[in-house]
Amino acid sequence: MTTHPANQQFDVIVVGAGPAGSAAALLAARAGLKVLLLERGEYPGAKNASGAVFYGSAILNELIPNWWEQAPVERHICRRDIAFMSPTTAVALDFRSAGVGFATAPYNGFTVLRPKFDRWLAAQAEAAGAFVLTSAVVDDVLREKGHIVGVRVRREQGEIYGKVVIACDGVNSFLAKKAGLQREFHPHELSLGVKEVIGLDPAIIQDRFHLTDNDGIAFEYLGAITEDVHGGAFLYTNRDSLSLGVIGQVSSLVERRKRPYELLERFKAHPAVAPLVRGGKLREYSAHLIPESGWAMKPKLYTDGMLVAGDAAGFCLAAGLYLEGMNYAMQSGLAAAETAIFACQKNNFSARVLAAYQKNLKQRHVSTDFRAYRHAPSFVNGPRLQNLYPEMVARGMEQIFRVDGTPKRKILPLTYRMVRQSTIKPGQLLRDVYQVARAYLW
Amino acid sequence: MVMTTHEEKMRTVRFRVGATPHIVVNSEICRNDCSVHACVYVCPANLFVPLDDGGILFNYEQCFECGTCYVACNQEGAIRWSYPDGGYGVTFRES
Amino acid sequence: MRIAVCLKYVPDPSTIEVDPLTGLIDAGRVLYMMNPADESALELALRLRPSNGTVTVFSVGPVEADRLLQDALAAGADAALRVWDDSLGSLKPIVTTMLLAAALRVKELPDLVLCGGHSVDRGSGTVPALLAEHLDWPVATDVTQFELRSGRMRVQRRLARGARAESEVTLPAILGLESGLVHLRQASLPNLMRVKHTPIPLYGLEELGLSPQDLHFPAMTLHEVMPPRPRTRVMFTPDIHGSVQERVAQIMSAGVAGKTGKILESGTPEQQADAIIAFLRQRGFLEQPT
Repeated sequence: MTTHPANQQFDVIVVGAGPAGSAAALLAARAGLKVLLLERGEYPGAKNASGAVFYGSAILNELIPNWWEQAPVERHICRRDIAFMSPTTAVALDFRSAGVGFATAPYNGFTVLRPKFDRWLAAQAEAAGAFVLTSAVVDDVLREKGHIVGVRVRREQGEIYGKVVIACDGVNSFLAKKAGLQREFHPHELSLGVKEVIGLDPAIIQDRFHLTDNDGIAFEYLGAITEDVHGGAFLYTNRDSLSLGVIGQVSSLVERRKRPYELLERFKAHPAVAPLVRGGKLREYSAHLIPESGWAMKPKLYTDGMLVAGDAAGFCLAAGLYLEGMNYAMQSGLAAAETAIFACQKNNFSARVLAAYQKNLKQRHVSTDFRAYRHAPSFVNGPRLQNLYPEMVARGMEQIFRVDGTPKRKILPLTYRMVRQSTIKPGQLLRDVYQVARAYLW
Repeated sequence: MVMTTHEEKMRTVRFRVGATPHIVVNSEICRNDCSVHACVYVCPANLFVPLDDGGILFNYEQCFECGTCYVACNQEGAIRWSYPDGGYGVTFRES
Repeated sequence: MRIAVCLKYVPDPSTIEVDPLTGLIDAGRVLYMMNPADESALELALRLRPSNGTVTVFSVGPVEADRLLQDALAAGADAALRVWDDSLGSLKPIVTTMLLAAALRVKELPDLVLCGGHSVDRGSGTVPALLAEHLDWPVATDVTQFELRSGRMRVQRRLARGARAESEVTLPAILGLESGLVHLRQASLPNLMRVKHTPIPLYGLEELGLSPQDLHFPAMTLHEVMPPRPRTRVMFTPDIHGSVQERVAQIMSAGVAGKTGKILESGTPEQQADAIIAFLRQRGFLEQPT
């Protein structure tokens, strides 16, 4: 390898200071490596938006014990609610836990505001010794004899060299594409999330959602809420605000010619949602792409001199019951850092050595989870689960509960009649039951 | 105020506008080869304006840099896409 | 040639949200930036700097302003200096300029001081003139263009209603520049990395040889905030002595004639200042002396 001036030569260059990048930089810096963490925003988190519930408390706790005591967290999630919607009704699955690990340390998940949380996490990497550089957008990788040896920042004299580059540059991952590890995406593989943070008095939030202290709730919605667009919606409680948004598959938005922010307005106007947001004041609107296809859009994860982690590697589990990204981002970032540390010990940065990344991802349960749920995303994003079944459930419950002087029907004949009346064929129904089982049960 | 217009939403977002556009639309291709104009519908910032002549006008100043237009566009070469210069573009504060 | 540039770290106006009920600014949502007019001034200073010249940047502000000065160093400024003292709070321009003047004197005085004409937060536009008073230097404000010609600075100034004026000042001098003339250049990567941990020299009152008494000015007391009350308007009627044509023309223009100001050309500066104060008293903008 050619040598470069010491101030331009790092052991590890991490591109993107989101949860994946900052976790990677933190771990690598603690191992004594010379780490550069590059972020294109004015500060880490400036370009980042997600729900956001962070379900990786235990992961971060390994790195920073009792991290929640110093980090900008909003509320810990001890209640989750998944609702199936028709235009006027909602049927919800409501899970509450005051149990160990949900309402007590280390907690299961926290709502966070990404610009604040990501900024804090990057500061932890900086405290561990990483050199954090903001306002630095990376345009390309540098190669020598086929090996990736650094990156090019879009500034004068922007070439900077590192033994390992870890690309954590988010869902669009230009870097993985430049390195030839990722192909162009199809519109059906990605979803667009549009979101609002709506300010609301903490006392009102506690009253309205029956919360005490810093308890929080996560609502997720399926069905008519996004009309005929494949997607869903969410509403999370923060300390003095709500985060709520609508997610729509890009291909489906295009086909239906729906504007995402109009779906967002309809979501807020739904009779099940309107009372929850009443009296709030819009604080910020945002939008971000989500790599929803998981395993199916996974790039090649490593090459000579480079690793890919986080959203850039498609490590986002959007599978109905699960909407998780930050935890997998962090886990994959840590696995990448472990791989970089290993390669530095060996002083060998070829793909053959970096292949240890696969083993590390498995040890951190990233690849195993994604493989286990590989069938879920395509099914969850299918038209029947998206629109037909949620609405059938919601309408079915309406019929079960309705008292209008007509004879009461038992549930099975009622279901049979609803299936008959719908466009769905019994054989298809059976196949879908099998698919749900395959996606979630075994 | 919970229900908001798109303009009201956009006013809550901070943009530091760079000197040069990071996204460039080749309106020729939009006019001659594209009948879908998906960008017009999917852009969360509503930045793509259909023109009378069938072309597309794009305003880069209030871009979220999300990449949706690039993914949704079905015409090779119609959108030249990159991120703004370091430190410029959208800056989320609370999302 | 030594050039000094005064920079201010200001809140980005697009991030200032005022609670309509309390009138308070939501401090948690404010983002700060280099004042745009100052950014222009810095870029123009860097372009003007000859090969043997220097550009030094100054700012009066708390520790957060170090970020601003580091950005200026990254863009190519040769040195930076921050002025602050924990006893200082929100500063009036007169105090800011006293501090700036003292800071400029710390090393050899520069040949040229460039300031942004107006800040986007306070926007009084008085800093260049007040600084000129403290240094006893000439000043040109509302400058849109300038050019150095054999030691003299030729400037173009923006006047009211689109008019422009050209004038010349001898150095050393202070220029107050319009906003948005040019963008500040992007710093190179090595520079950006170098300044990240560059300490910025800090000068407090003691180092500047000032005492809190020096900065004490009769406090302005706010009695009451009232909406502006327009002066009574005289309804326009056309002059009946004119011809039909003239009267129609008068009606069409609704009696608007270009407002004529009075230019004070004669007298000493003191006399001219007295005339302005008399005018302001007459119009009720200043209280009558008791």
